[in-house]
Amino acid sequence: MKDRAQALVREVVPNIYHPYPAFIKEVKEETGDIKTFTLAFADQEIQDRFVFRTGQFVLVSVFNCGEAPFSICSSPTSSKGLELSIKKMGLLTGEIHRYRVGDAVCLRGPYGNGFPLEQLYGHDLLFVGGGIGLAPLRSLIQYVLAKRSEFGRLTLLYGARTPEDIVFEDDLTAWSKEKEVEVVTTVYQANAEWEGNIGPVTNLLEKAAISPSNTKAILCGHPAIISYLVFDLLKMGLAEDAIISTLERNMKCGVGKCGHCSIGSKFTCMHGPVFTYREMKEFPSVL
Amino acid sequence: MLGKLILNKEHLSSFLRKIAKEHELIAPVRNRYGDTLLEVVSSVDDISLDLEARPVMPPKGFFLPRVETLFRYQRKDGHYSFKEVLPNVSRVFFGLRSCDLWAILFLDVVFQENLKDRYYLNRRSDTVLINIGCREPMENCFCKSAKSGPFLTQGYDLQFTDLGDRFFVEIGRPRGRELVEKWDYFFRPATSGDRDEQYEIVLEAESKFGQKVDFETAISRFMRYEIDDDLWEELGNRCQNCGGCAYVCPTCHCFDMMDRPVSDTEGERVRTHDACTLAGFTRLAGGHNPRRERGHRLRRRFYHKLPFAQDKYHRPSCVGCGRCVEICFGRVDMIHVIRMVCKKPEGPREASLRLGEILLDAGLISWKELKSTLEKQAGTGKRLGAQLIEDGLATKEEIASALSIQLGIPETEETG
Repeated sequence: MKDRAQALVREVVPNIYHPYPAFIKEVKEETGDIKTFTLAFADQEIQDRFVFRTGQFVLVSVFNCGEAPFSICSSPTSSKGLELSIKKMGLLTGEIHRYRVGDAVCLRGPYGNGFPLEQLYGHDLLFVGGGIGLAPLRSLIQYVLAKRSEFGRLTLLYGARTPEDIVFEDDLTAWSKEKEVEVVTTVYQANAEWEGNIGPVTNLLEKAAISPSNTKAILCGHPAIISYLVFDLLKMGLAEDAIISTLERNMKCGVGKCGHCSIGSKFTCMHGPVFTYREMKEFPSVL
Repeated sequence: MLGKLILNKEHLSSFLRKIAKEHELIAPVRNRYGDTLLEVVSSVDDISLDLEARPVMPPKGFFLPRVETLFRYQRKDGHYSFKEVLPNVSRVFFGLRSCDLWAILFLDVVFQENLKDRYYLNRRSDTVLINIGCREPMENCFCKSAKSGPFLTQGYDLQFTDLGDRFFVEIGRPRGRELVEKWDYFFRPATSGDRDEQYEIVLEAESKFGQKVDFETAISRFMRYEIDDDLWEELGNRCQNCGGCAYVCPTCHCFDMMDRPVSDTEGERVRTHDACTLAGFTRLAGGHNPRRERGHRLRRRFYHKLPFAQDKYHRPSCVGCGRCVEICFGRVDMIHVIRMVCKKPEGPREASLRLGEILLDAGLISWKELKSTLEKQAGTGKRLGAQLIEDGLATKEEIASALSIQLGIPETEETG
């Protein structure tokens, strides 16, 4: 009996905290403090098993620095595979910013619910992002453009601190040339060369020509900005479940055990990070 | 072999010695400073076993250690990889408090739901849990209110009851039966007299609680969001941000994971206890903190332990051990918070109702019947419950149900 119980544990239960070796295939400098890394698992079998959805995240281990969660910023339809845009903030991100092509990290995931695609098919989509918050949105935008006929109009409102802080500039240019796609950018602080919009991303909302009844809004950015956006979108007539956002929490384990990302009775890492506003408002003072 | 046995007290050491030879034996031991702690017993004869007091720390540390190494990692020649470090133990816990055993069962659910935690399971799967029912609740015990004591009706491998010169032993799960069958010569079947005596002890213990905590009212108020922010602000001012409540709580299981570098080429990924009341618990890179205020963190703690647990597991995650009551000098503990939440315009009730009064209150027996039974009881020396059952005035079930109803009554007085 004793031996049987032990054997059961050993054979059936995989180690949910086990990170697997991966390496950096490509590094692209987006801004002064943001880089996009293209990653792949070292083991081809693990790489083949790694199937993700838009809006999910992975946990990245950096040698002697621990582990941190990052949104996947590429679409599963992308030929590049797994891309992460990482802003230099502390110990771990500072270290990975020193890494070059071929350097090793470890990965586990993908985790999280991802964007509710089934609710988005056939609708006009309004994306609103601030700063690095464009990363998870990029994953979905790429997906929508890859399956263009299944979605309606696409509008992207993007705000950055300064013109130098704008991420995915090539993408923004390429997207704006697509059919039925409108891309509007703004900066908080302009420089001498900047000729575009100035002010917070919330200012762009009034100019956006959207039909509230057929539009789903997908938001990602600083919590303070999100709460303004939600307020404005509701005023424009969007339904509570037509407003979708990803929530940022201190996700440690990624598998609903450690408690750090708990929100209401749910875990951001498992039930989120994507929630509709209808779901979010059930949580006490979530924003 | 039947489900109820007797172990003479003089055989206990021999029984424990047999266990300790084959397994890691863990039991409550009083140390030379007078503190009782759950410890690994290497030599049964050299310890002072304490089956009365609640151990200072709950047993959770044996399953979720304060610090544990999950992986060793290394980076050599550009290769960076992790190797798991799995625990492998065969343990028997003897003399657990009922509340603490119940807490382990709660942790079993947490670490097995959705995705299974291999580290927890490796420590837990080969473990035998033996509790001893509490005859004398301690000052801040409220397991009766939390429905996790003082005696258990399920979940244990073996349950011991102290009958003075002998232990009454109940067999629960198969692991307990295995243990008893292996060394069956220590045990003999319990007689109906033993059973009655044990039952009386259970009833008596249940009537001795000084603390009654109204979980039901509190949880329903939490669920209806009837608690205003002032309460959390006040509690926030009283909280010292020490994390002690979570540290001593037998069911708190939040943890942190971090890397501990050993050299330029290798290190360990460790898991440590963590607490939702600490400021850094929810802080993000860049400094934004969704629960920056102490009051917000306390709100989180109590919502998690009460309504959310009730919703998910159909019971609060508090087992009523009273450790947080004793460790918190800001009185931000389960008893005080629930009383604050439940505060109702009602006069104070007596702290403890005797069995007879409870049965009287419940309308189970009349005053006349009680009086005559009490007189009879004085002659026979039997316990009140047994006398009532013998005289056909009440059934066991009726007494038990009256007790659970009465002891669940809202307690409004503020304790010192």
